[in-house]
Amino acid sequence: MDIIPQLVVNSIIAGAIYSMVALGFNLIYGTTKFFNLAHGTVAAIGGYTVFYLSKSLDFPVLPSVIVGVLFAGCIGYLVDKSVFRALRKKKASGMVFLVASLGVMTALQALVAILFSSQFQTLSVGSAKVYQVFGGVITQVQAIILLCVLLIMAGLTLLLRFTRFGKAVRATSDEEEVAKIVGINTNKIIGRVFFLGSAIAGLSGILVGFDTGIEPAMGLSLLLKGVIASIIGGIGNVYGGVLGAFLLGFIENFGIWKISGEWKDAIAFGVLLIFLLFRPQGLIKK
Amino acid sequence: MPTLETKSISKRFDSIKAVDNVSLSFEAGKITGLIGPNGSGKSTLINLLTGFVPYDAGMLVLGETTRLSRVRPYDIATYDITRTFQDVRLFEQMSVLDNVLVVLTERNVWSALFEKHKTYHLEKAKEVLERVGLWEKRNQLAVNLSYGQRKLLEIARAVAMDANIYFFDEPFAGLFPEMRKVVTSVLKELRNKGNTVILVEHNMDIIRELSDYCVVMDSGSLLAQGKPEVVLSRKDVIEAYLGE
Ligand SMILES: Nc1ncnc2c1ncn2[C@@H]1O[C@H](COP(=O)(O)OP(=O)(O)OP(=O)(O)O)[C@@H](O)[C@H]1O
Ligand SMILES: [Mg+2]
Repeated sequence: MDIIPQLVVNSIIAGAIYSMVALGFNLIYGTTKFFNLAHGTVAAIGGYTVFYLSKSLDFPVLPSVIVGVLFAGCIGYLVDKSVFRALRKKKASGMVFLVASLGVMTALQALVAILFSSQFQTLSVGSAKVYQVFGGVITQVQAIILLCVLLIMAGLTLLLRFTRFGKAVRATSDEEEVAKIVGINTNKIIGRVFFLGSAIAGLSGILVGFDTGIEPAMGLSLLLKGVIASIIGGIGNVYGGVLGAFLLGFIENFGIWKISGEWKDAIAFGVLLIFLLFRPQGLIKK
Repeated sequence: MPTLETKSISKRFDSIKAVDNVSLSFEAGKITGLIGPNGSGKSTLINLLTGFVPYDAGMLVLGETTRLSRVRPYDIATYDITRTFQDVRLFEQMSVLDNVLVVLTERNVWSALFEKHKTYHLEKAKEVLERVGLWEKRNQLAVNLSYGQRKLLEIARAVAMDANIYFFDEPFAGLFPEMRKVVTSVLKELRNKGNTVILVEHNMDIIRELSDYCVVMDSGSLLAQGKPEVVLSRKDVIEAYLGE
C-alpha cells in the first residue's frame, strides 16, 4: 500500500487543527499584541465541557458542542475582563501580560485536572465512519474538522472585512489609542475579540476530543502548535497563521515518514527555530 | 462664549515643565492659533486636553458645567472633541475609505456586529473624502499614501467625526500649495459652522490669515495672547522666536 496519500491526508488534518488554534490566537494577538498563553487551555475547557455534558449528563452531541463552544468563548471573555483589562488600564508591559497569561493557563489547567482527573478521555461516540479519498482514509470527525476550518475562515474574513465591528477590530489592532479618540470602545471590542477567538479555540479542543481525545494538558501542546504556525506564517496575520499551520502539518507528517512519530515535536520546534533565525517576520509580513 | 477652558493645567516630564500652570479659554466660532518655539509645549497641551497624556494638576472645563480633573482618550469623542497629530496617525492597514468609515461607526458594538455600513455612512464618507481630494484613492491602503495625502486623510477623519472642538497640530507642515488651500478652506468652513478650532502652526502668514485669536507659549508657560496682529508684533514674542 502506498503511504503517501495517507500522509497527505494526515498533514491536511493536522494543518486544519493547527489552523483553528492559530486563527483564534492570531485574532487575539493582532488586537492586543501579546502572546495569550491561556489560549490552548480554553480549547481544553471546550473539550471538557462537551465531555461533561454528553458523558455525565447524557446531553445529545450537537447541543453539547454548541454549549461547549459558547462556554469556551465566555471563559476567554471573562479572563480578559477580569485580568487583562486591568493590566491594559495600567499600561503593563508585554512581559507582565505574558506572565499573567501563564498564570491563567496554569490555574485553569489545574482546575480542569481537579474536576476531571488527568486521565486521557475520548469524546467519540460509537465506531467512527470512515471515507476513502485518493487512496487515504479520513474519518467523519476529520471531515467535519476540515469543513469547520473552511467555514471559520470564510466567516472571519467576512466579519473583519465588511462589518462595522470588523472595521473597529482592525482599527483597534492598527492604532489602539487613535481608535479610542475616534470613539471606538476598544475595551469592548477586545472583549468581543476574546470571546470570538476563545470560542474558536473551544471548537478546536472539542474536535480534537472527538478525533483523538482530551486531557487537561492538551492545551499547551495545541497552543504551541498554534504559536509555531502563527510565527511561521506571520504573527498577527490571520491568513498567515493558516498558511503556517498547513505547512507545519505537512512538515511534521512527512518528517516522520521514515522515523518514529516521537520526532514530531522536535521537528516542529526545529522548524520554529529555523524561522526565528532566518525569517522572523514569517511567510506573510503584516 | 468659551466652549473649552483650562484651569492651571500642568505637566512635567522628569525635570522639564512641558506645560506649566496654563489657564486658557477657547471660543466657539473662532480659530485660535497656538504658537511658540519648538519644545514650548504646544503638542503636549493638546495631548493633555485630548487625554493622551494625563495632567499632573489643574482642570478642564467644557461648556458651562462639565469640570474634569482627568480625561481619557475614549472620553473625548463623547465630549465632541477631536484632533490630528503632528506625526500623522492613521489606521495604516485599512483602506482610505475604511479610515473614514470606521469613525462613522455607531458606538453600539452589538448592533455593529453583523451590520454593514449604511448608505448614509458611505455618502458622508464620500463627501468628506471628496472635500480633500482623496475619493479616487479610496481603495488604497493608508500606508501607501504620500505624506501630504496622509495629512489630508487624517484631517478628513477628524472632519468626519462631526465634533464641536477640533485640535489641528501643524496640519500645513510639509504640504504643497494646492493641499494648503484645501486645508485652509476646511478650517474656515469648520469655524463658519460655529465650531471651536485650535490650530498649531509655525508659519506666521498662515496664523495671520486664519486665526481670530492667538496664544503664544514659551517654555511651557503662556507668554502672550490676543489678536494676532497685536500679539505677533510684541517684542517679547519676537524675541522668543528669535532666541530659538
Ligand atoms: N512623552 C514625553 N516624554 C518626555 N518629554 C516629553 C514628552 N513629550 C514632550 N516632552 C518634552 O516636553 C517639551 C514640550 O514638547 P512639545 O512636543 O509639547 O513641544 P511643541 O511646542 O509641540 O514643539 P514643536 O513645535 O517642536 O512641535 C519638550 O521639551 C519635549 O522634549
Ligand atoms: Mg509639537
